[in-house]
Amino acid sequence: MALFAVLQTTFLLALLPLRTYQNEVLSEPLPLTPESLNVSINSTKQCLHLQWTVHSLDYHQELKMVFQIQISRFKASNVIWMGNYSTTVKRNQVLHWSWESELPLECAMHFVRVRTMVDDARIPAPRFWSNWSSWEKADAQSSLGDQPLYVFPKDKLVEEGSDVTICYISRNHQDNISCYLEDELTYGKQLDQNVWAFELKNVSFLRKSGTNFYCKGRGIPEGVVLFVSKVLEEPKDFSCETRDLKTLTCAWDPGKDTGLIQLPSYTLFESFSRKKTLCKHRNRCDWQVTQDPQETYNFTLVAENYFRKRSVNILFNLIHGVHPVAPYNLFPKNVNATHATMTWKVYSIGNNSALLCQLQLLGEGKVIQQHNVSVRVNGEYLLSELEPDTDYMARVCCAYADHFWKWSESISQKFTTGEAAPSEAPDVWRDVTFVSGHPTVTLFWKPLAKVHTNGKILFYNVVVENLDEPSSLEVLSVPAPANSTKVTLNQSSYQIHVTAHNSAGPSPASTVAISGHPGNENVEEGRMNGTEDGFPMSWKPQSRNATGYVVEWCDGPQNLPCILRWKNLGPTTTGTVISSGAFRPGVRYNFRIYEISTKRMAHLLEKKAGYLEELAPSYNPQVVMSNLTSHSFTLSWKDYPTESQTGFIQGYYVYLKSKAGEKCHHGFEKTVLPDNSVCCKYTIDNPDEKTFVVKALQPESVYEFLVTPYTSAGEGPLDDFTKVTTPDEYSHILLHIILPMIFCVLVVMITCYLKSQWLKDKCYPDIPDPYKSSVLSLIKFKENPHITIMNVNDCVPDAIEVVNKPEGSKTQFIGTRKSPTETKGTKPTYLDLLPTEKNYSGPGPCICFENFTYNRAASDLGYCGHFPVTPQAPPCQLGPLTSPENLLKTLEQNYMNSLGEIPAGEANLNYVSQLASPMSGDKESPPTNPPEPALCSEYKMQMALPLGLASPPPGEDSSLSSTTLSDPSQRH
Amino acid sequence: MKVLAAGVVPLLLVLHWRHGAGSPLPITPVNATCATRHPCPSNLMNQIRNQLGQLNSSANSLFILYYTAQGEPFPNNLDKLCSPNVTDFPPFHANGTEKARLVELYRIIAYLGASLGNITRDQKVLNPYAHGLHSKLNSTADVLRGLLSNVLCRLCSKYHVSHVDVTYGPDTSGKDVFQKKKLGCQLLGKYKQVIAVLAQAF
Repeated sequence: MALFAVLQTTFLLALLPLRTYQNEVLSEPLPLTPESLNVSINSTKQCLHLQWTVHSLDYHQELKMVFQIQISRFKASNVIWMGNYSTTVKRNQVLHWSWESELPLECAMHFVRVRTMVDDARIPAPRFWSNWSSWEKADAQSSLGDQPLYVFPKDKLVEEGSDVTICYISRNHQDNISCYLEDELTYGKQLDQNVWAFELKNVSFLRKSGTNFYCKGRGIPEGVVLFVSKVLEEPKDFSCETRDLKTLTCAWDPGKDTGLIQLPSYTLFESFSRKKTLCKHRNRCDWQVTQDPQETYNFTLVAENYFRKRSVNILFNLIHGVHPVAPYNLFPKNVNATHATMTWKVYSIGNNSALLCQLQLLGEGKVIQQHNVSVRVNGEYLLSELEPDTDYMARVCCAYADHFWKWSESISQKFTTGEAAPSEAPDVWRDVTFVSGHPTVTLFWKPLAKVHTNGKILFYNVVVENLDEPSSLEVLSVPAPANSTKVTLNQSSYQIHVTAHNSAGPSPASTVAISGHPGNENVEEGRMNGTEDGFPMSWKPQSRNATGYVVEWCDGPQNLPCILRWKNLGPTTTGTVISSGAFRPGVRYNFRIYEISTKRMAHLLEKKAGYLEELAPSYNPQVVMSNLTSHSFTLSWKDYPTESQTGFIQGYYVYLKSKAGEKCHHGFEKTVLPDNSVCCKYTIDNPDEKTFVVKALQPESVYEFLVTPYTSAGEGPLDDFTKVTTPDEYSHILLHIILPMIFCVLVVMITCYLKSQWLKDKCYPDIPDPYKSSVLSLIKFKENPHITIMNVNDCVPDAIEVVNKPEGSKTQFIGTRKSPTETKGTKPTYLDLLPTEKNYSGPGPCICFENFTYNRAASDLGYCGHFPVTPQAPPCQLGPLTSPENLLKTLEQNYMNSLGEIPAGEANLNYVSQLASPMSGDKESPPTNPPEPALCSEYKMQMALPLGLASPPPGEDSSLSSTTLSDPSQRH
Repeated sequence: MKVLAAGVVPLLLVLHWRHGAGSPLPITPVNATCATRHPCPSNLMNQIRNQLGQLNSSANSLFILYYTAQGEPFPNNLDKLCSPNVTDFPPFHANGTEKARLVELYRIIAYLGASLGNITRDQKVLNPYAHGLHSKLNSTADVLRGLLSNVLCRLCSKYHVSHVDVTYGPDTSGKDVFQKKKLGCQLLGKYKQVIAVLAQAF
């Protein structure tokens, strides 16, 4: 306690002189020097932070003072900034003041000093500045390491459009350092021996990850990244609403992104309740309504980033900003063809307030009906006047009934009404063709319009009623979507009723009447021209009782299958325009106009043909040229179909070109073709005239012609001329002589060639070969199956002399007989003319023929022997032995005459062949033996001998036969 | 004693703690027990080789993606800004024993895994829309993790080594953005270089 008392006394004693001093200060101004000046560096903000005190003030004294601050760079004498700072100061108060440097503080040493002056109204003038404080140094470089190069400021955040200064410190004075903004070289100014600064003006946003600024010398490049922020925009469209009177939601458009990783903050402040909330989203914020509901809110939205602060304000009435939640569970109920009940639910708001709901009915995307319904929890509405079998969509949205502000989001539900019977009869037409006098009716009908079908058409009923036989009723059911059917009728009158059916029932019937007989089809066809709108046509009514008219046509060209179209017109109509998207220029369309009688019978009124637009012919006819003479030729193009052209053919142009460039003949006119060649042109103005004779031509001249049709739109292509050369005047005469002559010569040559062998045989016959003799065929013809030719080896000419003489002479030859081996060299030929009996092995009767190619006189001198012929002659010898029948007859006649001298009772004869000359058998083989008188050297008519006279000894017969068979190769 | 435990030990820990860096620890003695959480597959070395090959094949594209995303001056100053002169990178001796090589591989993979984590973190902030780079970084980190696990399994199962001392690269979180970009580029350049050597060595 004693110690405490001593201290208290000392304190009071010390206060006493202080009080005295205070009184003196107030009475006269004294300079108050700032003390304890401290300078620190904030590198991030590039700020020098100063703090100091003024100790000289009295206790409890507050003075308004002005502080003058000087800042120097690099050295104290280099003052770069000086300014005043005014504030009220208390004794021992630590004063703070910051200064932001445009140059990064790391790049330069800074010096700061402060002086002060009292600026208080209580202190009378004059006023004096105190002394400057001592220079305080701010040196950021001392904390740097020993890197050769530094670039500052690090990670600087700047706003787009602002200026920024970047500097580098190089430890190496010799290094030549260049700096770049991204890849663009930047020029700076030297601030100190080691320091350069670069002032970047109006920096722009490049990318969210920053803009690189770097410097490089010989070492590793060093750099910094500038983060450029776009200017923070003021929030737009700031509004608040509530869905349930419990939570407020304020929303706004934040504008474009600032482009920084650090997003701006949004704060919602309510001034009445003085509450604020930091928004979690950049475009909306939730605000909880308190239990004691506040009706009016004054909201301020503050958007803030490093550089700016933006705010918007709104005065909001809770009741006026109710935006209900969308209704739910919207369903159709009790849906039939024309009615449907829609039900839905809503979320209650506040104290079960009513909602105004809008029910919209949409069909094909358009609002058809719209109804407002007041709803608390459940909504219901009966929709009427609906179309059967139609897709609808019901849509509901609701709004706060007490104060309408905004519709809720809508919900929708699709539904389809039920079907009803089709409301209209189908549009029916018919095509009647008569086959064998019986009408065949093809009924066509158009699909009903959607508005009339009232459902899906399932089938069409066709009822055929025979008016002549009322009891006869035929019913056809054609399933949809077919639109035609064919009915074959008798020659009676009929009424055909067509109805369309859906699941709800049939449509009204459409009736057509058919007469059993063809009507008047001989109506002359008229022509008409189409227009852009279609084919306008009119007609004259024939009867006053017509119930309507039908125009019928085909949609396609004539060469295509007809797609039958028709148009129904009322009874008072006498004209219409037929239009169709299928109509094309250059296509001929045929129209038929029918009048419908009261009995629904159709009578043909008129036929019309026309083109929507006539075109020039696309091709020329195939012209056939005939009757070419030296002065004329005929052109013909009868196959050219005028009906199927691209326009009405009005005629033809015949173009004629001559190389000589002659004058055009009568009827032709000179014309210049598109290729500038000149030719003559003849006009045929009758489209049915399809031949033309070009006359008055020069012989032996070259002409070119072309026939092209023309329509009202022009003529056909002029690009395919045909050349023709007229002959000279005599050529036809020569032609008439030379051609037959050549033909005759050819015929003769061909005949000679074909009959050369025959001619040779006739004119220059070879030495007869018995094997090839026609006599063999004669024998064959006489049906002797055992014919053969006697082998030369078998021939023993001197064995028997065949003489038609008395038997006495027979023995003269016996002694002169030679063996077969002896006769081999002469190769005599023997011909077996008539067959012998099968079982006969002995000699038989024979006939000796005379060869007329030999001298008859000489033949008379020769010998001719005959031998029995062996029946075992090879059958192959018979093959070639065929001869013409006439020759056979001739021979028969001759031989029969000869045989006439033989007694008729001798049926079996042996023929004795005459010996051939040694030269005749084989021309190439020289005669080995000279001819002997004993051999037969000529053919001679053989005489039939009685069997008994010609019989050789039996033993010799058998030996001869065997020789013949053993050596067939010797035969010729 | 409690006061000592509560005050002195944390103080010592704080004093010796360096963010992102680990102090070397000795290799587990051979006779120490070594158990892995899961049984090691039989074809471990094949898997290690395949993973190294996979990393080697994608290292260059990752490097290109990285420096392209950083903007100039990186693509045109690769030799200076992205030179693979990482000072404290763990060494590798290709001619050592398999055990020594696996231990060195483990250290390298651990170093790379941590550095890649830093790069991935930085790039997600600096280049939020470089999704291709992020994806590549993540997939590389995944393979590195698998490789690390396999190497450890091999070391444990065959050489009974369960712990290997590892070092990590510098933490970039306190550095300026340009330095982050540069360090990342250098690390990926080094990664591209060293992974080729590793793939060849195994």
